[in-house]
Amino acid sequence: MAYHNQYRPPQYNSAPPDQGFLWNIFQRVDKDRSGSISDTELQQALSNGTWTPFNPVTVRSIIAMFDRDNKGGVNFNEFAGVWKYITDWQNIFRTYDRDNSGFIDKNELKQALTGFGYRLSDQFYNTLIEKFDRQRKGQVAFDDFIQCCIVLQRLTDVFRRYDTDQDGWIQVSYEQYLSMVFNVV
Amino acid sequence: MIKMECFLRHRGDVIKWNARLLRLLGNVPPGVHPEAQQWFSTVDTDRSGYISQRELRQALLNSNSTPFNEETCLLMFNMFDTSRSGRMDVFGFSALWTYLQQWKGLFQQFDRDRSGAISTNEMHQALSQMGYNLSPQFIQKLVEHHSPRGQQGAMHLDRFIQVCSQLQTMTQAFREKDTAMTGNVRMSYEDFLAGSIRRLM
Repeated sequence: MAYHNQYRPPQYNSAPPDQGFLWNIFQRVDKDRSGSISDTELQQALSNGTWTPFNPVTVRSIIAMFDRDNKGGVNFNEFAGVWKYITDWQNIFRTYDRDNSGFIDKNELKQALTGFGYRLSDQFYNTLIEKFDRQRKGQVAFDDFIQCCIVLQRLTDVFRRYDTDQDGWIQVSYEQYLSMVFNVV
Repeated sequence: MIKMECFLRHRGDVIKWNARLLRLLGNVPPGVHPEAQQWFSTVDTDRSGYISQRELRQALLNSNSTPFNEETCLLMFNMFDTSRSGRMDVFGFSALWTYLQQWKGLFQQFDRDRSGAISTNEMHQALSQMGYNLSPQFIQKLVEHHSPRGQQGAMHLDRFIQVCSQLQTMTQAFREKDTAMTGNVRMSYEDFLAGSIRRLM
């Protein structure tokens, strides 16, 4: 069995935050008072806990996920989703970052992804660390961890679409292969 | 593919020749293009002697003055930050500059109506001249997916560089798997993940 059925991160049943509280945050993040939070505004508001700017690619991915009409930002209603998404990831990250260093190492990453249902080889975890360790510390920070999970999930989704018999193997033509990859990036 | 290499090589020769000429006029370390050196000092805003990812992002612009997208900046940064230190010296930067000039040259050549962006039709011609055999449907989707919001079928320089270099790496990846040259490959889940992540990130 190459991959597991349940590979999505566990959903936290955190209570939805109070609207007034959210509105306060929204207004502080929406610096230009446009009624919509852009990539740059969200990036400036987010912290990865390591005093380095939040991964802009992660920010772009998150905005794109909740920006329903493709306007390049999120309005207040959509922001509620963004807020929950990020706090859920934060809770997940904290359970694996036991020493509170702001980073998780290869073993912790393995535990996290195994917990989500991924079954991946040890060698593959080396690739993940190498590619998502933006700060080159041999470990993965919070923002890069989210990006790693987003990419894995997208690649898994697109693989499944082609793996109709669910045996963990696909047969694809050149153009199909390119379509799969370009769908994701 | 071969044709594209020829284009690039030819552009490279012109650039090298210009460099020799310009070097006579100023004090530039060998292996660094004088124009790149000049640009380096404006891009290195904190005067650290190195270019950070953020400084690079602020320096790269499309012809309509929009900044390059993050992915292309990152792709180019990683390509020339050979020490993987997160900062680029003037030599790496000069190589990046040359690379950028080559793509700019190609981009202008394929932007036949001089609109400053590549349309679906222009991309079709560009890709077939580079030796790719792709369906019009695929190319249309590719261009649409990489066009700015509100503009259909208009790919700017940043996306053009991104798409072309990704096509190149992914075609290479496919070829390595397609040893029998059947145009079809069989691959496992982890093979697919590792191949995509290793080459695209």
